[in-house]
Amino acid sequence: MGLVAKISKDEVLSCTQPRPGSKRAGWSVWPVTAGGISAVSSDLKRDLIGLLPRLRRFARSLTRSAPEADDLVQEACLRAISRADQWDPTQPLDRWVFRIMRNLWISELRKNTVRVGQGQVPADEADELRSVDTGEAALAVTEVQSHIARLPEDLSAVLLTVSVEGYSYAEAAELFEIPIGTIMSRIHRARKLLAQAMSDTGGASHGV
Amino acid sequence: MAFDEEKLSAFLDGELSPDETRSVEAALEADPALQRRLEDLMAADTLAQREFAAELDEAVPFALAAAIQGAPEAPSKPANSPEPVVTRRSSFGLIAASLAGALAIGGGAGFLAGQNTTPELASAGGGWLEDIADYHAIYAEQVRHLVEVPAEEAAHIETWLSATLETEVRIPDLSGKGLQFEGARLLVAAGRPVAQLVYTDGDRAVVALCQIQSNAPNTEFASRTINAFDMVTFGNDGSNFVVVGDAGRPDLRAIAEDAATQV
Repeated sequence: MGLVAKISKDEVLSCTQPRPGSKRAGWSVWPVTAGGISAVSSDLKRDLIGLLPRLRRFARSLTRSAPEADDLVQEACLRAISRADQWDPTQPLDRWVFRIMRNLWISELRKNTVRVGQGQVPADEADELRSVDTGEAALAVTEVQSHIARLPEDLSAVLLTVSVEGYSYAEAAELFEIPIGTIMSRIHRARKLLAQAMSDTGGASHGV
Repeated sequence: MAFDEEKLSAFLDGELSPDETRSVEAALEADPALQRRLEDLMAADTLAQREFAAELDEAVPFALAAAIQGAPEAPSKPANSPEPVVTRRSSFGLIAASLAGALAIGGGAGFLAGQNTTPELASAGGGWLEDIADYHAIYAEQVRHLVEVPAEEAAHIETWLSATLETEVRIPDLSGKGLQFEGARLLVAAGRPVAQLVYTDGDRAVVALCQIQSNAPNTEFASRTINAFDMVTFGNDGSNFVVVGDAGRPDLRAIAEDAATQV
């Protein structure tokens, strides 16, 4: 069942009406106001909506929580729309929004340091996939992700950008603001953890 | 010197220099165990790509798309750039949805209090067909971005839009009417999700079949023209439909009748 099935019409409206003080998981909900009606950059909005599946996937790799990921995507898209004049149309829109999302997420982590780690082993020290969180949000992620949902967060996002989104190590290093050597290390570590998990569940492995 | 295992991943990703690549190739040739470790990494990567790809099949929440579509624009534009010419209908049509929903539901009263809402704005949200006409005016001119999800993903389109509309969405085969299915979009009209199934004819003219969930579906076919587009509306158990095409198109009624037998 898709996530949308869990969203009521009231929730749809909750994203389009201002509700003072309304927040979910630390992300403010941007209201649509009558005063916001102006020249609509329909192309940008259309392209952002078309990118939503990939934006949500990247957000999940950062947040490891479906609700927080959707809030992050919404926040990033609204920021992109409000700052459309800062986008260089010769550059890929998806990468610009990925960067916005990553910066927003880092900012959120800094504001809420309690979230960092949450008792988990730091990514660079993890030696196995983390156990599955039985919380509802985590289950929503793991329904489709199984193995990758259990990678430490710092590994999952890097693996996604390099292995799936086609970033070079240098481009990923710039996005995540870490050295290229760390990108290489995290990519390799992610693959080793996945290989180990495949071995544990009966897949072939040769002691990576 | 011990082999740096991380180079195996960098080798897979094409991130090594020519010298390093040759070095890894030589090591792999000399060490079957290293080859097996490389195979494990490749298998892990294949698994990751498969699982990441599966995430793209999930339905996007309507609320998320609606929030983006209805987002406020940047507050100001550079002084030396000309103001784009946007008609009131066309700008409203794209965001009518969310606002119309707020207007139509009691909870919207508080939202509107103190807002600078014009009478036209309030009245324009009454019919979803006007919004559909606005969308058609924009999207029918698109070539590269004609659809959001292409026809090749028909099964996904039906699953995705059925979940979003909370009613069954089927893609009619209208090839008997000379129409080829191109793909689909999710629209927002009258504050609610609308499935737009896009077809083209031999002249690349666009005909769209739009569906919205309804508790009071139309009981008969009806024709009308809005903003230079002809429309034929009809209903079935749980949904209203409209077939939209260029004004003067003679076959819309027949297309609608054909579609009605399949939805």
